[in-house]
Amino acid sequence: MISTIAYGLTIGGIFYIISIGLSLTFGTMRIVNFAHAFIYMAGAYVLIAVMPVFKGLFIPAAIVAVISVIPIGYVIERFIIRRLYGESIDLAIIATYAVLLIGVDITKWIWGATPIPLSDPVRKSLPVLGVDLPVYRLIIIGLSVLIFLCLEIFFRKTLVGKIIVAGLEDREAVASLGINLEKYFSMVFILGSCLAALGGVLYAPITTVHPYMGFQVLLLCFAVVIVGGLGSMRGTFVAAFALGMVMSVTGRFWGPAAEAMVFMVMAVVLIFKPVEV
Amino acid sequence: MKRSTIRTLEKFNLPIVAAGFLLLAPVLTVQRTTDFIIFCIFVLAYDLLYGYMGRLSFGHMLYLGVGAYAAALCAEHISANPFIAILTALLSGAAVGLLLGPIIVRTTGACFALINLAFNQVGFFLALIALAEWTGGEDGMAAFFDTVWMLNFDNRYVVFGFSLFCLLLVVFLMRRLTGSPFGILLRMIKENETRAQFLGYNTYKYKLLAFVISTTVAAFAGALTILNYTYVTPSFIDTTRNVEVIFASLIGGAGSVFGALLGGMSYMAISNYLPNYIQRWEMFLGIALLLLVFRFQTGIWGFVVARVSGTDAEKDQ
Repeated sequence: MISTIAYGLTIGGIFYIISIGLSLTFGTMRIVNFAHAFIYMAGAYVLIAVMPVFKGLFIPAAIVAVISVIPIGYVIERFIIRRLYGESIDLAIIATYAVLLIGVDITKWIWGATPIPLSDPVRKSLPVLGVDLPVYRLIIIGLSVLIFLCLEIFFRKTLVGKIIVAGLEDREAVASLGINLEKYFSMVFILGSCLAALGGVLYAPITTVHPYMGFQVLLLCFAVVIVGGLGSMRGTFVAAFALGMVMSVTGRFWGPAAEAMVFMVMAVVLIFKPVEV
Repeated sequence: MKRSTIRTLEKFNLPIVAAGFLLLAPVLTVQRTTDFIIFCIFVLAYDLLYGYMGRLSFGHMLYLGVGAYAAALCAEHISANPFIAILTALLSGAAVGLLLGPIIVRTTGACFALINLAFNQVGFFLALIALAEWTGGEDGMAAFFDTVWMLNFDNRYVVFGFSLFCLLLVVFLMRRLTGSPFGILLRMIKENETRAQFLGYNTYKYKLLAFVISTTVAAFAGALTILNYTYVTPSFIDTTRNVEVIFASLIGGAGSVFGALLGGMSYMAISNYLPNYIQRWEMFLGIALLLLVFRFQTGIWGFVVARVSGTDAEKDQ
């Protein structure tokens, strides 16, 4: 039971880290960003590529992986998403999906389609209430809570954060104050991309790294964003952990049904609380 | 060509479509042409939602799969009569549309795309694992049909002729539907739903109806697929395949029956022959999609219409 809860919280933490970027692009630009899955995957692959350079040390490799996606995020934002802003939402969805397809194919070109396993970087476990829990998972849970707190401070206390929150509420009102929102949205996009890469890096040792890893996680994260409410930071946090628990509890009783259950919960939420875009 | 010439040609649209496919059959082999025809039916179903109502679904493979599995299950458990199987597929398509529609059509834009995608994933899971006892899980299931009257569906020519007849029927009905007040209302919902509501229309009802028609026709295409291939596997409803129909709809030109036909043909031609020459198929698809989105939004049919009439505002009608 303890391990189920710990697993749910770990998954929830990963979901949260990945979903922030999605939630922000959803909230600011009303775009479903499929390219997010590509960035998530790119983070994991860069991690694998630079691990040997740092002689197998996880933390420096992870930092390099997270930083390396900044140019990718910038290019996607500048040349795909910004050009489609104000045009049809549907076309933007299709365009980001196209970016995902291209990204997956490039990854297959460079690394091949075979899944690459990665070992637990901490390799220690801690007894909690009589159950041995891997320390690495506890670190993930702690890190996701830390990121939540940092983002709360960032969005409530700093000027940049306040501008972004205001932009989420009412674009035109903020723009009419003479603030160049595009610059801030592009910053938000890159922040979200970095967090997606961090999610990929953190999740890589738990699952395997393969070119299609993005598709699956992305769908679950969309469910998190929809359940949490579009563009709501706190809602995303709560929904991520709630759906993580749903997944791990369902998985405990019937493994294959775990993901389907998440979508069922999403459907139920949508019945009682329709999303208005 | 003058517009009057186009008008005369449009009167004979069904014979032209039929002749086109009949000419194509000897060139491409009969089974492949049947494949093209069935895909065109699916694109027509999809385009009713995307092109006319302006709702991008990212999970339409589910409804195709519902039709295919319903037909196969019917053939195995109820009756091997192909017409009963098709009828079962149509009813199941409509039932799924009625079941999921009330949840799905209340959303728009991004949410609409994602919820379809999520349900597609659930359907994939059901076919692969939860209902594996009936659907055969990963191995899929085969279906064999009886001969009814003179129609032996083991014969490829019979399947071809029957599919072509079905396509013409769907094209005819779609033309009637999209030209009717209902079709115009759907376009109004696409352009401005609030205004449609303001004029006193219960848009929810019309959206649900369009959704159910779309799922039913998609299930019809699924049932025809199983007549053509005689088997169905869960990979048939894999969520990653949704991009195929989106691509087809875009390249042909969304929001027109002939655009959908051209799109279905173009996508099938590209996907059947290009992978022989190009190794990086997904990358090609991605780049082509980007080009379509940025440079060529009206698609082939929009381009043709613009060329003929000299304006790009005119479409289809």
